Amino acid sequence: MTGRVEVAERRFSLRGDMATVGLLVRRATNEILRVPGAAIPGVLAPTIFFLGLTAVFGGLTQLPGFTADEYQSFIIPISLLQGAGFTGAATGVNLARDIEQGWFDRLLVSPAPRPVLLAGMVASASLRSLIPATFLLVVGFAVGVSWPGIGGLLLAYFFVMGTGALAACWGSVIALKFKTQGAAPLMQAGMFVLILTTTAYAPLELLQGWLADIARINPVTQIVEAIRQGFTTGTITWGETWPGLVAMLALLIVLGGLALRGMNKTAE
Amino acid sequence: MRAIEVSGLEREFEGAIRAVDGVDLEVAEGEIYAFLGPNGAGKTTTVRMLTTLLRPTGGRALVAGHDVVDEAAEVRRAIGVALQEAALDPLMTGRELIALQATLHGLVGAEATRRGDALLARVGLAQAADRRVGTYSGGMRRRLDLASALVHEPRVLFLDEPTTGLDPVSRKAIWEEVAALNREGTTVFLTTQYLEEADNLADRVGIIAKGKIVAEGTPASLKAEVGKPHLEIGLADGSAAQAERVCTAFGRRLPEKEGKVLVELEGGAAEVAKVVRALDDAGIAVESLDLVEPTLDDVFVAKTGEHLEGDIEQAPAAAEAG
Repeated sequence: MTGRVEVAERRFSLRGDMATVGLLVRRATNEILRVPGAAIPGVLAPTIFFLGLTAVFGGLTQLPGFTADEYQSFIIPISLLQGAGFTGAATGVNLARDIEQGWFDRLLVSPAPRPVLLAGMVASASLRSLIPATFLLVVGFAVGVSWPGIGGLLLAYFFVMGTGALAACWGSVIALKFKTQGAAPLMQAGMFVLILTTTAYAPLELLQGWLADIARINPVTQIVEAIRQGFTTGTITWGETWPGLVAMLALLIVLGGLALRGMNKTAE
Repeated sequence: MRAIEVSGLEREFEGAIRAVDGVDLEVAEGEIYAFLGPNGAGKTTTVRMLTTLLRPTGGRALVAGHDVVDEAAEVRRAIGVALQEAALDPLMTGRELIALQATLHGLVGAEATRRGDALLARVGLAQAADRRVGTYSGGMRRRLDLASALVHEPRVLFLDEPTTGLDPVSRKAIWEEVAALNREGTTVFLTTQYLEEADNLADRVGIIAKGKIVAEGTPASLKAEVGKPHLEIGLADGSAAQAERVCTAFGRRLPEKEGKVLVELEGGAAEVAKVVRALDDAGIAVESLDLVEPTLDDVFVAKTGEHLEGDIEQAPAAAEAG
């Protein structure tokens, strides 16, 4: 009986929380490691998108005012973010499946803090987003994407992981709201819209009309430009980087907060 | 201290659907309490409220001394839960699931491993621990779910229809494990639609229908409420009238059924031997003799006018197991 009380009154520690995050990440990676081919669509889609856009719009670099010499170097940040967005949103789809099948109740009925549960899901999305990014970069360098330097490469990976995290938060918000995998298109489309209504295809100076207006206020534009600097100029500057960091942080706070709110409201 | 105290518990869903409608109940420490009712009676909704998964819209509930709304985290530390249709990830192994469950409850490192191994052995899954859950049978999944609910040695264990859909052997194995846990001091709150489950396992039974508790007590007291046991006597030589005269001395005569003489035993089952002797003394040859005890289904029928459909469906299999 003494043992029981001891266990029941155990206080949660940072070590315990980290272990929980680690095991939730491990569970998420099972799908990649144990289901052959599970990662292929998420890897192939942005790569095909990248190759297709490069082939179709490669001539845009000839336009006066275009800020890059090779279109593939200009467009690769978008494909990197797209891969991260798809991977992150898939976390939302998986969460909806877990809700439908009752697995999520197993997590909710445990005393693990809700932010830790969310962190586990978000961290797994961040790590998984490295897979399409790495594949895409290998293909990209093979077809002539400029080397961004070590700093530029690390910065790209950093923002890819961040985008995977915020896409996971967005997917979780939708999953917790609708509690069905039927909401998957909304999760994917949300990220698609957020990433593509930026300076995705052309510099801001060349955009016109509503797209220019939206790209100007879309915080993801700052993230795109922060990644792009390494690929198009080969150098990284703090002035081009900090707006992206602020945008990423702000989006994570907003979407993470909404996801946490959704998690806390599941009992209602 | 009471393990569970519930007063006026209510849960209303959109569209003014009242799934739980003013439930009052108390479960003592160390007791097995069975919540018996048909599908849609409000059993699972009640369990979800008691396990903090669903917020009540009225009333109050304390579990292990903590309020399920205001002290939800404390409640979660004190309880173990195995929900209906064990939700297990088919890609995980049994050992991984137990490790995750232990970690979710704040157990890490060697202690988590030790507890996990002990529990897997206890539920007979040590050999299958490194197999993926997707390869487990229904009974193995339930046993794994039960083990995972025990990993932090909870004071109160909630089991939502723990044997629904299981074969008789697996069902019996779960019953034995639950009884053993209770002997070790764990309070058990289980929901079921199986009469045998409530009858065999529970110290007390609460019968729920349409969101309200319609009867509560020990299985014996509930059955005693609806009537006494009766004897069904098959006669070899057709002397029914004479047999009825003899049996009337032991209690009220019931309408004849399939040619058998039926008599309610005023003094209970203890009078069976006396009836047999009296019939023998009167020279009446008895071909068959069945003592029929009231069942919890009789209680349910008496209180609601309906049968427990789930149990009727499963009764032959359960009887086979018993």
